[in-house]
Amino acid sequence: MAFLDALLNGLTLGGMYALVAMGLTLQYGVARIMNLSYGEFLIAAAFAAYWLFQVQAINPLLALLLVVPVAFAANWLIYQIMLHPLVKRSRNRGELEVNSILATFGLLFVIQGLVLLLFGSNYFSYTYISNVFIVAGSPLAADRLLAVAVAVVMGSGLYLLLMRTRPGTALRAVSVDPRAAQLAGIDVRAASAMAFALGGGLVAASGVLVSMFTTFNASMGVVFTMKALIVVIMGGAGHLLGALTAGLILGLVESFVAVYVAPGLTLAATFALFLIVLLVRPTGMMGRAGA
Amino acid sequence: MLELRNVSAAYGQHLALQGIDLTVHEGEMVVMLGANGAGKSTLLSVIAGQVPARRGSGVSMAGIDLLGLLPHRVVEAGVALVPEGRGIFGAMTVRENLLLGAYPKRARAEERCSLARVMTLFPKLEERLGQVAGTMSGGEQQMVAIGRALMSAPRLLLLDEPSLGLSPLMAGELFKALERIREIDVSVLFVEQNARKSLAIADRGYLIENGTVVGEGTAAALLADDSVQQAYLGVAKRA
Repeated sequence: MAFLDALLNGLTLGGMYALVAMGLTLQYGVARIMNLSYGEFLIAAAFAAYWLFQVQAINPLLALLLVVPVAFAANWLIYQIMLHPLVKRSRNRGELEVNSILATFGLLFVIQGLVLLLFGSNYFSYTYISNVFIVAGSPLAADRLLAVAVAVVMGSGLYLLLMRTRPGTALRAVSVDPRAAQLAGIDVRAASAMAFALGGGLVAASGVLVSMFTTFNASMGVVFTMKALIVVIMGGAGHLLGALTAGLILGLVESFVAVYVAPGLTLAATFALFLIVLLVRPTGMMGRAGA
Repeated sequence: MLELRNVSAAYGQHLALQGIDLTVHEGEMVVMLGANGAGKSTLLSVIAGQVPARRGSGVSMAGIDLLGLLPHRVVEAGVALVPEGRGIFGAMTVRENLLLGAYPKRARAEERCSLARVMTLFPKLEERLGQVAGTMSGGEQQMVAIGRALMSAPRLLLLDEPSLGLSPLMAGELFKALERIREIDVSVLFVEQNARKSLAIADRGYLIENGTVVGEGTAAALLADDSVQQAYLGVAKRA
């Protein structure tokens, strides 16, 4: 049942990609910060989950309740202290993008350095649940399934928050047009800080979930940043459903290429797909023209 | 209610406004006339907190100093700007746009009341509440923009060229709606190219040229004024 294997694997992988990308799409789409240190936060959260599990015997689901609020607060502070001065100084969106790329590139090494200092450069992993379900003859690891289930819950929660609540609508308004949002009485700085912090909380959650079934080391953050970036740009910056769709498609493509073509070509397939989307729809699959 | 004293503003070296004095009283509808680039839009942006004024300027609303306030604070102070080009959220529905207008704290409690008011003012919007705003005609989008501004429960509405780009028919409808804004106790300060139509509904007017006030008076007096007729109403010089 190679097909079903590939499908299930692709869906779980894609679900994780979508969750990882959702935080970045908030940070980039609403706060307009291109955060190159995004993956570092994921890795830091993965290590935090590892430490909590191995040393403190706190299971990863409980770890979420600790790690996510801490990451939220840390990212809120980073926005207010480090990034808001850049926002104030930048005259337009392009300038802010360049400034934020440079600043967060520096932040990347700070966080990576701290993790290296604390944990060294070895690969880490731990086993939280080792059960394997058999779905129609295909094996499916329970820890992956759990991670995806939590991802689905968080993704839907975020979607409802953005679509159905007043603060969520305000975040979307800032993402579409910060100037007009100000005129509607929205505090754009507060909304941007909130979006950046929410994104930070989401990526930390992804880190905890990913740590349950992946082997990771201190310098792997950039892989996640790249994947998240690809998903965000493919889906259309600031577009939650776009990130979801793009994440799932990417997961499925990688999984099917690995099974039916060659495992070594997954990255090539990822970038080929990315290139095609960019050529056909430069604003992303669900992006607005001119946005 | 709105008091501007000696307001100046500059973009870099270019002085866009020089010593503007302007007043809008409670319940009044005031129009600013002037050529493109005269500084009218800049003045609205200064009031709304989007463009900083130079030192020595004074802008206050019902006794509250507006200078230095961030745009969202100005909205909380009861001043709502509908910018040129409308500034609505095209990807969102009419309802979402309107409810966003009630985001300021001052407006939340009155949200339902305000929505009902906007519906009476623009009955057309009621059947379009679920439509994505960006797919509407220019005139309807302008209604959404004004409606959203009114949702913030303002005491003063600032409109930047509301009839720009509208068909004569739509523009006529818009001016009728503006006239009715008076009935809901909201003062209006607006910029218009269409001098005849705007003087017909306004109480008073200011003439702005090169960033200064070159004339002011009641709408009736301005309509009758010879120089106004030549400059803004396209009437030939009398022999």
